[in-house]
Amino acid sequence: MIGKKTFLVAGIAIALIIAAMAPFIASSNPDGLESAFFGIFGAKELEGSTLDEEMAGAAEEEVTAITGNEFSFNSPFPDYSIGGLAKSGETAAVIIGTLLVLGIALGLSRIVTRKE
Amino acid sequence: MHIPDAFIPLPQAGVYWIIALIFIALALRWARKELSEEKIPLVAILAAGIFAIQAVNIPIPWGTSGHMMGAALAAIVLGSPFAAVFILTLVLIVQGVLFGDGGLTVMGANIINMGVIGGFVGYYSYRGFYPIFKSPYAPAFIAGWLSLFIAALACAVEMALAGTFPLGLGLFSMGLYHAVIGIIEGGITASAIYLIATARPDIMANTEGVPV
Repeated sequence: MIGKKTFLVAGIAIALIIAAMAPFIASSNPDGLESAFFGIFGAKELEGSTLDEEMAGAAEEEVTAITGNEFSFNSPFPDYSIGGLAKSGETAAVIIGTLLVLGIALGLSRIVTRKE
Repeated sequence: MHIPDAFIPLPQAGVYWIIALIFIALALRWARKELSEEKIPLVAILAAGIFAIQAVNIPIPWGTSGHMMGAALAAIVLGSPFAAVFILTLVLIVQGVLFGDGGLTVMGANIINMGVIGGFVGYYSYRGFYPIFKSPYAPAFIAGWLSLFIAALACAVEMALAGTFPLGLGLFSMGLYHAVIGIIEGGITASAIYLIATARPDIMANTEGVPV
């Protein structure tokens, strides 16, 4: 059993350590959904490991044609990157995101639970 | 498992948003009624930790990778599936808007899969398996694994409804990859519960399940 303050500080420290390490240890392989998508659209074998980049691009155009959902949006830090910065930018992006989620969760919880 | 915009037609994406908004409203009601002031730091730490760990894509076989979802963990620690909806919605909004991770028009579907299905499957499978094992760790592992696996199958069904994946092949491939990624989910869920229960047994929701 540790104190309230220690728990809070330790929790935030663990989240920030994971955030800082994430860009260095994260795999750039497609995730489960992307891998299924590339497999089904012929850019990759479902149980194979090589991705055909050209076919992958064609698959993305093909799926947009199927669903007709052409919505696109330029996020400020696409794929957890900061323009012009390499790994340090990615670390900064994930840390910024972690702190932002922490702040929003604290703020929203306080507002929602406020008793009149 | 973050669905991008192009994978679901707009009308269907709208339906998922409406369903998601109902669960978000219920999650806000849960927070207003059930969330005590002393648990607010725990909610914030879980949200931040889940955001951070979702950035860690761990390689699995077949040239694929996956990351933890965190819904089962949030639901078990805070004692309600709505806690997972509350936390995962915040995480998904920040991921989608700031980092382009998961689409915006389809965010309702992502909230349903990772927050609602992940949270409900995680919470109720933990509650269901607890009496069998009489210890929190094996049920937490199973809850983590099942929450991710079932959410992935739901995602495959949505892809089939969208016309993006054929149903059988979608279920097979999503099931195959996420059966492996689920081991990561289960392992981290059980480990995190061990850490939280050791550090602060008083704030764990399911105190009957935690040896002090």
